[in-house]
Amino acid sequence: MNSNSVNNKGTPSCEFQENLDMLRQIDFFSALPLEVAKVFAYLCTREIFKTGDYLFQQDEDDGQAFYIISGKARLLHKEDGQELIIRDYETGSFFGRLALMGNMPRLFSMIAVTDVTCLTITRQKFLKAINQFPDQMPRIIKAIVETIQAWEKRFLTHRTENCEACMHKIGVSLV
Amino acid sequence: MATTETPIVKRSLFSWIFPGNLKLQGSLLFIIILTVAARLLPLEMQRRIVNEAIKLRSIDLLLIYCGIFLGAVILASGLKYLINVLQTLIAQRTTARLRKGLYRHILNLPLNFFRNTQPGTVVNALTNELTVPGNFVGMAIAAPVTNVMTLLAFAGYLFWLNPLLAAVSLSIYPLVVLLVPLLQKRANRANKKRVDAARKFSSKIAESISGIHEIQGNGAYEFENRKYAGLVDKLLKIRIVWSLYRFGVKQANNFFTGLGPFLVFLLGGYLTIKGQLELGALVAFLSAQEKLYNPWKELIEFYQVYQDGRVNYDRTMEYFDVEPEHEIAPEGRDPLELDGSLEIRDLSFVTENGIRLLDGINFSLKSGEHMALVGFSGSGKSTLALCIGQLYKYTSGHVLIGNSEVSDLTKKDVVNNVGIVAQSPFIFEGTIKENLLYACIAANEGDGSGQDKSLPTLDDMIAVLHQAGIFIDVLRFGLNAIFTPEQNKELISSLLRVRQNFQRGFGENLADYVEFFDEDKYLYYSSVAENLTFGTPTRDAFDVTNLPQNEYFLRYLDESQLTRPLLGLGAQLARQTVDILRNLPPEEVFYEQSPIAPEELDEYKVLVKRLKKTKLHQLSPQDRSKLLELTLRFVPGIHKMVSLPEILENLILEGRALFKEKISAENPEAFTFFQMSQYIHSETILNNIFFGKLKTVSPQAQDKIDTSIVQLLIEEDFLEKIVEIGMDFQVGSRGDKLSGGQRQKLAIARALLKNPRILIMDEATSALDNKSQSRIQNLLETRWKGKSTLIAVVHRLDIIKNYDKVAVMKAGKLGEIGTYDDLIARKGMLYELEFGKQ
Ligand SMILES: Nc1ncnc2c1ncn2[C@@H]1O[C@H](COP(=O)(O)OP(=O)(O)O)[C@@H](O)[C@H]1O
Ligand SMILES: [Mg+2]
Repeated sequence: MNSNSVNNKGTPSCEFQENLDMLRQIDFFSALPLEVAKVFAYLCTREIFKTGDYLFQQDEDDGQAFYIISGKARLLHKEDGQELIIRDYETGSFFGRLALMGNMPRLFSMIAVTDVTCLTITRQKFLKAINQFPDQMPRIIKAIVETIQAWEKRFLTHRTENCEACMHKIGVSLV
Repeated sequence: MATTETPIVKRSLFSWIFPGNLKLQGSLLFIIILTVAARLLPLEMQRRIVNEAIKLRSIDLLLIYCGIFLGAVILASGLKYLINVLQTLIAQRTTARLRKGLYRHILNLPLNFFRNTQPGTVVNALTNELTVPGNFVGMAIAAPVTNVMTLLAFAGYLFWLNPLLAAVSLSIYPLVVLLVPLLQKRANRANKKRVDAARKFSSKIAESISGIHEIQGNGAYEFENRKYAGLVDKLLKIRIVWSLYRFGVKQANNFFTGLGPFLVFLLGGYLTIKGQLELGALVAFLSAQEKLYNPWKELIEFYQVYQDGRVNYDRTMEYFDVEPEHEIAPEGRDPLELDGSLEIRDLSFVTENGIRLLDGINFSLKSGEHMALVGFSGSGKSTLALCIGQLYKYTSGHVLIGNSEVSDLTKKDVVNNVGIVAQSPFIFEGTIKENLLYACIAANEGDGSGQDKSLPTLDDMIAVLHQAGIFIDVLRFGLNAIFTPEQNKELISSLLRVRQNFQRGFGENLADYVEFFDEDKYLYYSSVAENLTFGTPTRDAFDVTNLPQNEYFLRYLDESQLTRPLLGLGAQLARQTVDILRNLPPEEVFYEQSPIAPEELDEYKVLVKRLKKTKLHQLSPQDRSKLLELTLRFVPGIHKMVSLPEILENLILEGRALFKEKISAENPEAFTFFQMSQYIHSETILNNIFFGKLKTVSPQAQDKIDTSIVQLLIEEDFLEKIVEIGMDFQVGSRGDKLSGGQRQKLAIARALLKNPRILIMDEATSALDNKSQSRIQNLLETRWKGKSTLIAVVHRLDIIKNYDKVAVMKAGKLGEIGTYDDLIARKGMLYELEFGKQ
């Protein structure tokens, strides 16, 4: 008689419900039916990273995706001992979609520049769960394809002049 | 000694009858002769009772004859029982001997044999197919001798009574003797098919169970069910045919022997009417003739056991009739201590089907040199490694270890000098320690020297755990162990000291990751039960599982007005959890964060359905108890599907104070409350050091905690003790409780502990993360180079630069070999592997 959301009124809403609300704002999950989204919301965990902690490190295959609930994290790339700062991710960013799909040692590192609270899900859990709903896979793939396409399109529109050399290496969306 | 004996697979079934059973079979024979005599006596008594006692109307004679009759019957059945005992003894001992012998043989068979043989086949052979042959051996003397002798005795007696009648009634048996083998031949044919089908059937079961991850992962239930059902149906058909023929044999026999009395009545009746036969003689004849029936039936049964046993035995032995490729241990000399040099000349390996997997390989390594073996998968790297390790017998060319030809060495020689980490190493059920010592124990066993070399010390073991990078893992196992109360009083007092130092030194630092036990605070990472009792029960009645039925506890809940809100929370938990897990399979990933266990889900599903129609206070006591059980398990920090209302939190805190008061006054023995000065026996060592519980399992938290704990344990000189406890961790069947990386590290540690002259590692670090991989690489370069020869099949090219030699395999041939720099400069195959085709 009482649906779940009604049930929770009056009492502070539980973490599961909050997770579900967050997932529904992420392109990767938003297209999934409620039944399926619930399972993912249930499997997610919250992690706190202190300033200076790594969310993940270059060359390691941690196999997780992150949604930043609060705080700021910085993407780095190490090469020959040099550390290159690439950009910052803030509250509301979601990254790691591909790491959920298959083995992939990280090409970058991500470090917390403030205390960061994240919602995370591991590849193992993701794959186990999506295996239970094989007919949802096309939606997931569609979301990934669109994200990659949008990414490269954005890059092409907003690129600056001094980027000639890299222009010959672009085309990730063609893989 | 093993070499002079006929291998078990070449022995005939008959060869098992006497050897090893001589005394038993001898006693049997003796008892049988007595039995036959004891069986004959009642017949004669019968005749005399009718002809003498009754005719002469002598009560005395009647009593005497009846007494003898009774005695003989008792004796006969006693002896028969004894025969059965001996027979069973022989049968079971023979089956056991067959099982041991065949197992020993199978373990020695070449690896190649097992490419086509499933574990199920072996299980089936060893468990099922050897029982009937064993039974046959048990019966082999007793059954024919007893029954033939009884038959002859009775037949003789019949002839003595009346030759004509005897001849007529016995004339049936030759007919049976002709007919039965015909039917049995068909039964045998069906039985052969059955053995084969049963073998496939068992293989299928073993395969599905070992591949259960894949089946559940792919949801291939129907597909697997279909495959299995197909085999079951086939076996069913064969078994029906087989059984029908076997019954046919029995039935034919019954029918013909059933004709006996008919003939006797016909002829004997006629003779008696005509006065040519006494009535007593006819009675005696009839009952003697009836007595033929049993031994004959037993003979036929024995015949069937013999036929079935023979088929099972031959079929099974035929299947395993493969020769081991190498001798187990040297005879008349000690196992060799080989030098670590390796020379490979014109090495080729061709499979039985003529596929050339290795083709003319040549290279050599000096003792202590390290070589990396690279190449595409399928290029023959593992095959080469297996040939060097004597696991495959190469078909031509030479592999010389310390100038000895590997194919001429015994297993023992190789095992004592070579260590192998296989591509997918196997971890046995048991503890970490048992797995670690596996190679050493095996190498020490029966090495001809007769004396046990001492096993590695704890320090040795800890050293290799460090080297293989599994030390921290084992430490964690130790920290997560739970002590039994009486164990280790000393240890416990030291642990309490560690706890105090931890609070002093690290408490604040780790407060983000650990929730400390605090009597005045709600513990979000402990269960409601723990929050209420804030202690460990010392009586079973107060155990968490018994609390929902414990009257005392229930009354307490009522008194503190907790019953209703707790039941309400339980209902909410049940509804939410069932809603999420409803359609998910019972796998651990899905249940890690659930208060309901997989096997309970159905029960709670029904309960939730009932909750829709029923008010809480109308529920049956059982349902209330189920809900309460769920609530008591509820850990807000883990079970996120509902939140703990603040009002209830406060109620529980009040309830905690009340509980302590009540228990201390009324039942002080029942609980030990959490106190800084008390070890908590229900909790892990780690939680005891914390005096609290971990809030997260995230890797970065783990790392921080590990560092602090290790530092602390070192200060307290306690690290080794905990690692030792960790080494007793049970790894589960096939090491399933370890991660892939941990299994590989354990396998590496196992090989390193043996300290072999030659170490072969086949992609031994493929499941490890980068850090662990480089660690091990470093270790090999610094500690092992120059000491042990190493052949490492390597799948990642970034770790091969410092090897003395790099060899590139391509399609079974050695493409090129040299130092890394040379090969790269040459721009050949290695260059191509590393940088792609230019
Ligand atoms: N005993 C065997 N009988 C038949 N084929 C085999 C046997 N052993 C290996 N193979 C095949 O030989 C090839 C080389 O195998 P392997 O030595 O394992 O390659 P690598 O280790 O380089 O990946 C593979 O195609 C494999 O299927
Ligand atoms: Mg291989």
